[in-house]
Amino acid sequence: MADVHVTAAPLPAAASRTAGRHRRHLARRFRGAGPGTYLLLALIALVSVFPLYWSLVVASHSNSAVAAYPPVLVPGGNLIKNIDRLFNSGVVNVEFWKALMNSAIVATTVAVAAVMTSAMAGFAFAKLRFRGNRALFLAVVVTMMVPVQLGVIPLYIEMIHFHWLNKLQAVIAPNVVSAFGVFFMRQYIVQAVPNELVDAARVDGCNTMRIFWHVVLPAVRPAAAVLGLLTFLQAWNDYFWPLVVLSSSNPTVQVAVSSIASVNYFPDYALVLTGTFVSVLPLLVLFLVLGRQIIGGIMQGAVKA
Amino acid sequence: MSATTTTASTPSRLSLRERLHRADGRLSPYVYVAPFFAIFGVFGLYPLLYTGYVSLTNRNLLNPGTRWVGLDNYSNLLHDSYFWNAVGNTFGIWVLSTIPQLLMALGLAHVLNTRLRVRTLLRMSILVPQVTSLVAVALIFTQLFDYRYGLFNWLIGLVGVGKVNWEAGDFTSWIALSVMVTWRWTGYNALLYLAAMQSIPDELYEAAEVDGAGRFRQFIHVTIPQIRPTIVFTVIISTIGGLQLFTEPYLFEPLKQGATGGSARQYQTVVMYLYEKAFGSGEFKFGYASAIAWSLFLITIVFSLVNFLFVSRIRSAH
Amino acid sequence: MRTMTRRRRPTKAVLMVIAAAALACAVVVASAGAASKTTLRVDVFGDFGYKPLYKQYMKTHPNIVIKEDSEDYQPHHDGLVKHLATGAGADDVVAIEVGFVSKFDNTPQYFVDLRKLGGMKEATQYPKWKYEQAIAKDGSLIGLGTDVGSLAICYRADLFKQAGLPSDPTAVSKLWPTWGDYLKAGKKFQANAPSGTYFYDSGSNIYNAIIAQANPAYYNKAGKLLVSSNPKVKQAWNVAVQGYQAGLDAGLAAYSTAWTTGFKKSTFASVTCPAWMMGYIQTSAPAFKGDWNVADVPGGKGGSWGGSFLAIPKQSKHQAEAWDLLKFLTSPESQTYVFKHTGNLPSRTAVLKSSAVQGFKNPFFQNAPVGKIFARNALALTPQSLGPNQGDIQTAVSNAIQRVEQKKQSPDQAWAQFLKDVKSVTST
Repeated sequence: MADVHVTAAPLPAAASRTAGRHRRHLARRFRGAGPGTYLLLALIALVSVFPLYWSLVVASHSNSAVAAYPPVLVPGGNLIKNIDRLFNSGVVNVEFWKALMNSAIVATTVAVAAVMTSAMAGFAFAKLRFRGNRALFLAVVVTMMVPVQLGVIPLYIEMIHFHWLNKLQAVIAPNVVSAFGVFFMRQYIVQAVPNELVDAARVDGCNTMRIFWHVVLPAVRPAAAVLGLLTFLQAWNDYFWPLVVLSSSNPTVQVAVSSIASVNYFPDYALVLTGTFVSVLPLLVLFLVLGRQIIGGIMQGAVKA
Repeated sequence: MSATTTTASTPSRLSLRERLHRADGRLSPYVYVAPFFAIFGVFGLYPLLYTGYVSLTNRNLLNPGTRWVGLDNYSNLLHDSYFWNAVGNTFGIWVLSTIPQLLMALGLAHVLNTRLRVRTLLRMSILVPQVTSLVAVALIFTQLFDYRYGLFNWLIGLVGVGKVNWEAGDFTSWIALSVMVTWRWTGYNALLYLAAMQSIPDELYEAAEVDGAGRFRQFIHVTIPQIRPTIVFTVIISTIGGLQLFTEPYLFEPLKQGATGGSARQYQTVVMYLYEKAFGSGEFKFGYASAIAWSLFLITIVFSLVNFLFVSRIRSAH
Repeated sequence: MRTMTRRRRPTKAVLMVIAAAALACAVVVASAGAASKTTLRVDVFGDFGYKPLYKQYMKTHPNIVIKEDSEDYQPHHDGLVKHLATGAGADDVVAIEVGFVSKFDNTPQYFVDLRKLGGMKEATQYPKWKYEQAIAKDGSLIGLGTDVGSLAICYRADLFKQAGLPSDPTAVSKLWPTWGDYLKAGKKFQANAPSGTYFYDSGSNIYNAIIAQANPAYYNKAGKLLVSSNPKVKQAWNVAVQGYQAGLDAGLAAYSTAWTTGFKKSTFASVTCPAWMMGYIQTSAPAFKGDWNVADVPGGKGGSWGGSFLAIPKQSKHQAEAWDLLKFLTSPESQTYVFKHTGNLPSRTAVLKSSAVQGFKNPFFQNAPVGKIFARNALALTPQSLGPNQGDIQTAVSNAIQRVEQKKQSPDQAWAQFLKDVKSVTST
């Protein structure tokens, strides 16, 4: 049970310990999960994972096997061949390698920048006293609920003026700030950085920048990691805006995959789902390594919200 | 000499440092929040507001002469059957996906809120859909829903149901899209609910038990009201997300002909219609598309408020 | 303390991931910097059959790297409009289909005027009507022709035989002097057809072929829109509807995945066949090599559906290199090569008349004299007056016919909505 608290929420230690005791007690009192529960959960887990498994199945067969009826349910031996075709610009209508690199650049930049801007603003809202603090923070919270995607047309016009169309800046710049990120970091810093520590640093003659750099940043690393991961996922998976501002000559991986899928000249489900599978693979690997932290981050955000 | 300098300069140096210190205290908070607000202003707020202005013009990407047309775009929109069709589709798909999704997530969270072995593995597997990109979800499910060779038609064929042309039908295409949305978001919402359930104090359940409430009644009378803020949060989030549905229906279309959402626009959502008018049909009507965007913005706000009030009533009913 | 160490782990891992990604970026940037080659990008829709030609060109031009981008018909042209109007994103050489070329005739400022590069010398080697389609309002030449559509009917001789119809192209051509006769032959076919096989693939393909034969069709010479007033348009529509009502129509959305799969599964026995259609047939179902043949199109000779141009956007940074590549891709040799391997019909007069084309028999189509059939038709062509939204109207009508085929609307409802859609795409 203990590790749940580590990942779930940095509640004050005492509170979480009592909650833990309650929960343990509660769980025992309620149900030791029976075989039925496990069966149900196994089924749900299966449904959750199946579509990705299916993309692997299709990606590992030749295209003609895809049209087989009844469908083939086990992977075949064509995966390497299909991946080879995917990266061969003589076969595919996009440069898949370039697309993967573009996405790596975009997602990494966005993640690092969003964490920085969020940590800065979060720090100010959590630990600094200034006029308008509450009002501005309220503005951030409201912003979280605003569907800014609806500003797509003026944003597009802006990109024309900046000469950023078909360039990666166009998908990076609008995403380097995150209202959720500011909110998330602020909530974390409130608890993770004791006021006494900030005050002590001030007495020692630290200015605000030094406090941020030497006191706050080291303390928020766990939250920064989670936020960075979530932002990376989001940036990697983004589709609507890249579709609008990029073209298939300089795509992100999502635009590239959808472009392969929408050229029907030679309908090749095996190739389309190979591209799909390869586009998800980096995230799956990240998720397998850091899934515990991602889950923790999501649940943590929930408790705060 | 030296003594006078020291005595004269020390106070002034101190006051300089003090002044700097004060300036640091007074100004630096703004410096720290500035990047967020500046960038958000340029790429978030300003475009959103400017959308309102563009919607009052006849701006067109291909036509340099922009003219003020007042509310013409909006009055045209009111009589545009394609717009209302898109609004209807969007709400239809939203209902079909959000309600089952949130109910299933509640149930799943309830089941997960027990002592379980392989807990992390289970949580990770239900979160796999959330890690999967929208594009991947759309493409994989489009293949699964294929009329002739899809797995779903094969499965329902096993129980004797004839093949369904999911994409062509009104309702069937909504169902297919709802399955995609539900698949991607149920696990995520379940984790949010689970987090909330875990912070419910045990005393409440003990008290309910003393009152003779069974497990189901405890769920209804203790669990649900206690996690109500999270429920409100998920309802609002899925409202905002659901009303902006684009990727799944856009890629569900077998042949890209300007994001019409099927030959009879049977699953064209509002954002798809916006995309069609702005970028996807050779029309590039930015003014009109902005009117669509702004209308959707208003619809989203109103509908979110309605949902908020509705979910709030659930609590007060108990 | 345990908490701290546990928490630190993700940070490290994240840093490593970020470092790895950054390294990857650096490698890419470095390798891009090392290459001093000029990359030319060519933007087409579908398959122009150019890939082997690129290889050939790169061999003789070691400093040039060619990359092709390809999308579907409508997204390709929408993207092109977007890239031109915003001044960013267009490739060095772009394909423009005849349905859209009039739209771009209105905006010559976006293209390199090929006259200035000596393009007229090339252009005059095409039929007059072909190169005039690429002459913009201000007299500049925005593109050179790649192919012309021409028209025929491709059919599965084996399936025709099974259904008791003649299978020899001369006899088949005699079955259908008019489109009404084509439907009559279809009814005969359908009565004895193998189960699951329809007479033709898609109503919109029938409709488009009939429209291609009409002059004027959507626009008159003065550029006035005739869609709702020209009886020929409604007549074409009626033929498509009658074919559907008689159960001859497989109802597959043309160029969709289901449609290409239809070739594999013998879902239909005939398809209206501009020369470029041969490419679709050969790549979609290579297994039926030797089962297809080519007959005359109903409704008399003439009519061309499709055909494209290559142009150079002004935003290209390598205009001289692009022009050299463009000349190569539209050269007599390249056009002949593409015709033989993909099916797209050459558009240079001399090439159409050459023995290489005239004498070409395609083994895939039972050695039908496809060169003679298509070239004869193309040389006798009287061109149609075009207008700016030709291609958009074609997309709208395809959707309308599909609504009927999917039983979503009655023919009258679908027609009414089509007219409404036309009004919308032609207004600004």
